[in-house]
Amino acid sequence: MSEEKNVVSRRSVLKGAAIGGAALATGSALSAESASAATRLKGSTVKWTTRGGGATGDKIAKAVNDAFTKKTGAKVVAQQVNSDDFQNNFAQILQGSPDDAFGWMAGYRSNHFGELGLLADLTREIGHLKSTLPTAAIKGSTSPVTKKPYILPTTYYPWALHYRKSMVKDLGMNPESINNWDDFVKLMTLTQKKGLVGYSLGAKGGWEAMGTFDILNARVNGYKYHIDLLNGRAKWTDARTKETFKYFAQLIPFMNTNFMDISWDGMRDLLLQKKTGAMMMGSWFANDFKAKSQADYDDLWVVPFPQINPKFGRDTIDAPLDGISVAANGKNVSGGKALAEFWASPEGITEAVKAGDTNIYVSKSFDTSSYDAFNKQKLAVLASASNIMFFLDRDARGDFAGPVVGPAIQSFLQKPSDINKILENVQAQWDALPKN
Amino acid sequence: MKTAATVKKNRSRRSLSNTDRFTLTAFVGIPTLLQIILLWVPAVVTIILSFTYWNGVRLKDIQWAGIQNYKNIFVNNPLFYQALKNNGTWLAFFVLIATPLGILLAYQIDRGIKGHAFYESIYYLPVVLSLAVIGIIWNFMLQPGGFVQGLMGLDIGNAISIWGNPKINTWVILGVASWRHIGYIMLLYLSGLKSVDPALKEAAAIDGATEWQIFRKIIFPTMQPVNIIIVVITLIESLRAFDLVYIIYGSPTIFPLLNLLVFQNFAGQGISMKGAAYAVILLVLCIVPIITYLRINFKEDLK
Amino acid sequence: MSTGVVQNEQYRNSQKRKDFYISIFIGFFAFVWIFPILWTVWTSLRPYNDIISYGIFSWPRHITLVNYFNAIREMHIGVYLMNSLMVTVPSVILTLFFGSLVAFVVTRYKFKFNLGLLLLFTAGNMLPIVLTYIPVFWMFIWVGELFGNRNLLYNNYGGLILVHVGFQVGFATFVLSSYMKTIPKEISESATIDGANVFRHYWNVILPLLRPALAALSVLMTTWIYNEFFWALVLMSDDSKRPITSALRRLQGQYVTDFNLLAAGAIIAASPTVIMFFVLRKQFIAGLTLGSTKG
Repeated sequence: MSEEKNVVSRRSVLKGAAIGGAALATGSALSAESASAATRLKGSTVKWTTRGGGATGDKIAKAVNDAFTKKTGAKVVAQQVNSDDFQNNFAQILQGSPDDAFGWMAGYRSNHFGELGLLADLTREIGHLKSTLPTAAIKGSTSPVTKKPYILPTTYYPWALHYRKSMVKDLGMNPESINNWDDFVKLMTLTQKKGLVGYSLGAKGGWEAMGTFDILNARVNGYKYHIDLLNGRAKWTDARTKETFKYFAQLIPFMNTNFMDISWDGMRDLLLQKKTGAMMMGSWFANDFKAKSQADYDDLWVVPFPQINPKFGRDTIDAPLDGISVAANGKNVSGGKALAEFWASPEGITEAVKAGDTNIYVSKSFDTSSYDAFNKQKLAVLASASNIMFFLDRDARGDFAGPVVGPAIQSFLQKPSDINKILENVQAQWDALPKN
Repeated sequence: MKTAATVKKNRSRRSLSNTDRFTLTAFVGIPTLLQIILLWVPAVVTIILSFTYWNGVRLKDIQWAGIQNYKNIFVNNPLFYQALKNNGTWLAFFVLIATPLGILLAYQIDRGIKGHAFYESIYYLPVVLSLAVIGIIWNFMLQPGGFVQGLMGLDIGNAISIWGNPKINTWVILGVASWRHIGYIMLLYLSGLKSVDPALKEAAAIDGATEWQIFRKIIFPTMQPVNIIIVVITLIESLRAFDLVYIIYGSPTIFPLLNLLVFQNFAGQGISMKGAAYAVILLVLCIVPIITYLRINFKEDLK
Repeated sequence: MSTGVVQNEQYRNSQKRKDFYISIFIGFFAFVWIFPILWTVWTSLRPYNDIISYGIFSWPRHITLVNYFNAIREMHIGVYLMNSLMVTVPSVILTLFFGSLVAFVVTRYKFKFNLGLLLLFTAGNMLPIVLTYIPVFWMFIWVGELFGNRNLLYNNYGGLILVHVGFQVGFATFVLSSYMKTIPKEISESATIDGANVFRHYWNVILPLLRPALAALSVLMTTWIYNEFFWALVLMSDDSKRPITSALRRLQGQYVTDFNLLAAGAIIAASPTVIMFFVLRKQFIAGLTLGSTKG
């Protein structure tokens, strides 16, 4: 059976090569080909998965997919799934009968599956969007191994320090200048004195606290060291890694004690209900502030994580890149590619924003002057950093980040004095990974 | 007598026509095939895979790993020992506390107190709920801002740690699991108790036996078959525990259990055959109760 | 003689007193026992805004079924309930059918493999399911490709039914064969002498006698399969095809803040088995007993 499949794919590759050759020969062949693609698309069905996002997620997906239908005549069947379950079964879903296109994450999470042939190669689509996409976003979507993109970048967000301006003002501090470690400690101390949580953290899922570790490591040891660490070129047992955890340990007394009970939504609620002074998280949760009330949204602010080591300043940030991937095993791969391209195109973005998406888009086509103050600040925070990280579980391999680093950070938070033992263990587990 | 039986047996065997033979083969063959294909072949495949390195996608990527996966688990992985401890605690708690409580409850309800049928139903109710629903119900009770924390006057800003607190979460989870288990054991035992002659009890009581003596000397021995089944069910349930903890935590790291570790490593984004190795370890632990169960149930046949 | 009566009287009296204390105890704990369920029902009857404005302990200003209507409308609970039905009913019927076939053969005919077969089936029922699920997944994909449709078994009701049958048939076989051993052999013998073939022997003679056991087992199996969570999670990738138990996971994530709605969803999801338990209580208990005590 797989023999036959190979034959089919070889044939289609040859066909593709012939078309490519023709396109090179005459310029008009290209448009002829896309015209035939358009007729093939018309009347076909494309399946779409929204990964979490609740009612807003559904609304945005409907707006964009309807516009796609209107433009191409292809029908889109959409579903929303539980994000955790989708990720926990991702490899099975892709090997089974996946929906054609879905929102996904750049970095290791898409490269790995693209390299294994489970996500479709989007070279052509990214080529079409080239004029609207910054080089960095294209590079971030491309596998360093195969040099092919497996995701079309759409949105990104800073992982940075969030707080409420009104609360900081009440403490007698200037909300615009939480710049260095001392400012930060002062903010947390004063908040705690009021009987509130100084620094809110969730660690239930094992990934939430990775954001704090990422930024601390980048502030203490620099971007290069951090990326080296995640890829085995630096050691977890290194004194520099331990130094990072020393800073992390300083945060623990300011934290909510039930950090192991809550995830990102619990953190969000603490800030939403004015129970915490500061929180390190991805800005995506701002949608929920806006949903509660405009006043809450206007009160929300974000700044780069404070400086620790002057050598590195505030030059690095976690800015996970999200986008649309296409399943190689989908029923309608060409339809999926077209839908993905639409989502990442200026037209698609316009529809998403109209439907209430507060994310910021990588597309250069997007007019940022219409952004509200918070989004402008997000952009400023992103622009202030010269090194962009993707987030620990996208910068490191999947059989290491989730199963090893996540639990290690959880045990550290519960028993900081065990840090040496914990790090030795992380290193030993890295060393035991199969080399591929 | 014996020869007559043999003759009869032989006759019946001989009298099987070809159609009958075919029917019998189909009767046994189809379910057996299903069972072998869906259970035993996959089990063997998993055992083999546990000795390889593989990311679970392309067959050509499989590499022989020897016992590396096991070594990695035993030597490097603290989660494994936490899982063993949790599964072990679960088992001990079920055997020593939840199951006896279920038996005690059955024994007391069996006295025929007023409204016993009503109480029976209440205690049994959690057993018919799915663990997904149980997870949601107990989350309402225990989450920050939920019933228990609200009763203690705590809002989300000063909520205490329950699910995530390693000092108490084991007991909380075991409590929730027992909420279901106790009712199950109660009903099993109750149905056995109904077959014990109440006159026996009364006679012993009049002879001056205490309640405990009656239970130990009269009830318990008569209930022997049920007792053993209950112990085995308890063992298997403790080793297979998965749903409840998955629903409450979504990931295996805060309250690791062997089943959850299999799931985390065997599927999803970071597939490695460490997952298969965890599954095999779980199987090895299950073998003792499985064999015990089989030996007890097929004692006479095996002779 | 007369002292015996007095002792008897004393015993009865002491028992009565004891009964009184014990029933207070049992009654109290019964309330504790059912409280979480009552609380969930209570939560489901209150509108979200009441909770937000006045807190969870506030005196109810409105009692309403609106959460239930919304659960059905927004969460599509009806679709998921239907899915559960489509999976549970065939699974139970097939499991009992196959189980009764094997039990029939091993108890009515003396083959050498009988014991081995029973051991295989009973042990299979106790295997940890995570041991098998990834190979089962690959097998489903592979079989699907063989027939040119990956969705033949994976992400389809058929596949889910198949694994349920595969995993439960061991228990059914074990229980039914224990039960069948209590049916006198003479019945079979007279059937054979009357010239009934194997199929008629099974269908006309044995099956009717199995009726009480089948009724009891079907109630128990329905509860188990309806409540099963793991297989649907890993073998159904389309949310719209998931049975209610697995679908609740998504709803739990999606409606985490609106817990009144979620409570209504959970109550609806729980109601089929709860209702069945109260209506068919006798069969339910009989099913458990069949499995635990040798007939």
